[in-house]
Amino acid sequence: MQSDTLSMQRRNNYNDGSTSMKRAVSRRDFLNLAGALGGSTAVFRAAVALGILPAVAHAERPELATLNKSRKVLILGAGISGLTAAYELSRKGYEVQVLEASFRAGGRNMTVRNGDRIDETGYQQVCNFDKDPDLYFNCGPARIPGHHKSLLNYCKELDVELAPFINDNRLAWVQDDSMFGGKPVRAREFMTDSRGFVAELMSKSLKPEQFAAPMTNDDVERLREYLKYLGSLDPSFKYVGSSNAGLAVHDYTNPDVLKKPLDGRELLKSKFMAIMSFGETDDQAAMMMEPVGGMDRVPAGFLRKIGHLVQLESQVQKIKVLSKGVEVTYRRNGAYVTAKADYVLNCIPMHLLAGIEHNFPKEFAAGLTSIPRGKLFKIGFQMKERFWEKEGIYGGISWTLQDIQQLWYPAHGINRQKGVMLGAYTFDPAAGEKFARLAPADRFKLAIAQGEKIHPGYGSYVETGVSVAWHQMNHMLGCAAQWDEELWKKWFKTLQTPVGNHYLMGDQVSYHPGWQEGAMASAHFAIADIDARERAAGSVAA
Amino acid sequence: MKRLNRIAAGIALALVLGSASAGNDYDYCLLCHGANANGNYGIRAPKISGMEPWYLARQLENFASGARGVPPEDAAGHEMGPVGWRVKTEGSLEGAVKFIGTLESRRPAPTMTGDVAHGKTLYAGCVACHGAKGEGNPSVQAPALAARSDWYLATQLANYQKGLRGTDARDTYGAQMRAIISTLPDEKAIVDVVAYINTLK
Repeated sequence: MQSDTLSMQRRNNYNDGSTSMKRAVSRRDFLNLAGALGGSTAVFRAAVALGILPAVAHAERPELATLNKSRKVLILGAGISGLTAAYELSRKGYEVQVLEASFRAGGRNMTVRNGDRIDETGYQQVCNFDKDPDLYFNCGPARIPGHHKSLLNYCKELDVELAPFINDNRLAWVQDDSMFGGKPVRAREFMTDSRGFVAELMSKSLKPEQFAAPMTNDDVERLREYLKYLGSLDPSFKYVGSSNAGLAVHDYTNPDVLKKPLDGRELLKSKFMAIMSFGETDDQAAMMMEPVGGMDRVPAGFLRKIGHLVQLESQVQKIKVLSKGVEVTYRRNGAYVTAKADYVLNCIPMHLLAGIEHNFPKEFAAGLTSIPRGKLFKIGFQMKERFWEKEGIYGGISWTLQDIQQLWYPAHGINRQKGVMLGAYTFDPAAGEKFARLAPADRFKLAIAQGEKIHPGYGSYVETGVSVAWHQMNHMLGCAAQWDEELWKKWFKTLQTPVGNHYLMGDQVSYHPGWQEGAMASAHFAIADIDARERAAGSVAA
Repeated sequence: MKRLNRIAAGIALALVLGSASAGNDYDYCLLCHGANANGNYGIRAPKISGMEPWYLARQLENFASGARGVPPEDAAGHEMGPVGWRVKTEGSLEGAVKFIGTLESRRPAPTMTGDVAHGKTLYAGCVACHGAKGEGNPSVQAPALAARSDWYLATQLANYQKGLRGTDARDTYGAQMRAIISTLPDEKAIVDVVAYINTLK
């Protein structure tokens, strides 16, 4: 497999075109030489390296050319990246088969309803929600920002109806044992009162000489003015409360009465300050959306088009990259089956791929075990009454510094009797492990005890629950890959660059892990590369 | 209470397995332990193919009963705990052990290096039970050590050292192992002895 073709590809692939390759031979000579050694793909790679052909620079949805030759593509995994690639390639004449290890398609895009099985390696669960279109739980992705173009385009194309999703609700609660003795405050109070406190202190202490850049007295005055609006200060630059924090009483037949500001020093004791701007971040800011009826309407949309290409319960055991094509061995019904394809698009989580027999280059194999797996954990509770709506909360998130971290209130089904709310969503791997160690009933107990601090009587509304420990889910064993700057720098190109005709895909091979948009971008990247290779080989219709 | 919850989960599973397609449920083993159960360092699941059937059965039993894999610090062990319980209650320990016996065991590539000469000296304390060639000895229930995942051997030795394994009263053989772990006083000793075990054939 370590043919000259491959080593050449690995050296030349996706560089910036400003190669310092010595010009002892002409460009044409070099391309001919490359072709003789490594075939059309080598010519293509070399041409890219020389700047004659453009490299696949970005991963917008590519316009693939229609094939006029037969090309077989095996896609390993029917998650979002696999389904995206299968949909695009099969429309352009590629012969596609998707092998999925699980009994279901969708990958981490998973919505559970009445009767659905939650396939955890140890603790298996069945969702006992009432049979009702509003009573579902999105175990994986649950929201779509307005700039996730690829996903939004596919939703439109695949008739996936979208509705607003409420991510940020200033009437939701903030709870932290380290402030006010653990008593929750409304998010708007925390934000407004802490900003008022900080703005007042800053405006009092501003002096021109404090700044590195020269500041005139006028500059400082303008800055104080900014702070006045930022912190809702009064004309004398004091924070005396603001309607942004909510009124003391909402009685519209009498003058407004402001709440007394909360003690600023107490507010600053809470690490909630780190989460306070969550709803302003690039991917979390309004306007967010969700598919009507559950996030799994997205894979369902793909499956309506290409469901016949997907083969479930086929667990890959071996991948052999050949000088031409790739051979894959998988287990189905207790027996081994071997299949060969021109291309393999591999969406298997890399920490599982590491345990599969393969002949990948050493460096690539080392990368597979170098990125920690995510350990996010979620609980969904069916509540017999939408009690939060009586507290003025319609959708959005309450935050707590306890293990459960978040409570989500459904934005769909408002005013109906029952609702499924999120009872835990942990980002901290230690919290995820803590819940995962427990049997489901004990997970619920822990989550209920913590939820009680936000909503007294919370547990009395719980009818049934589901829990999803992503790092213990069968065929996943992990949530989003935990990349960081250093790991990206060290491993990303190695894992993204195809090994022969084998491409690693999924949100794990994107700078946006944990988002469907990242998964789609990885698919677009891979299929654009295949398209460019087939065009270079002249295997496409003119 | 924990046991009751497990039983409730088991009943739920029995309901869904009724609709599951025919296949080999023990294929689940391969998800974590890799192709032919030759191990997957990616999720810290050791090679279990080639392990003695009696040793596999005993460890599955230990995981199922909670005699192993309970301390929170043993992250990989507590992932295996409920799986052992599930194998026992919904499948059979014998079935799982038999399946593992059908797999093609391969000698894993070494991942650790250490002072082999020092490791050899230390290994003198292991010979009585595990044999001069690390071949194991069923008569004292000591498993083979040669041709195992080396990082896994090191993890387990450290677990014995830290009291994360071999402390449950039901795990009598584990307790024996824990009693003798003082011959490997620190991390370096563990690395060295594993480096030596890597040379055994």
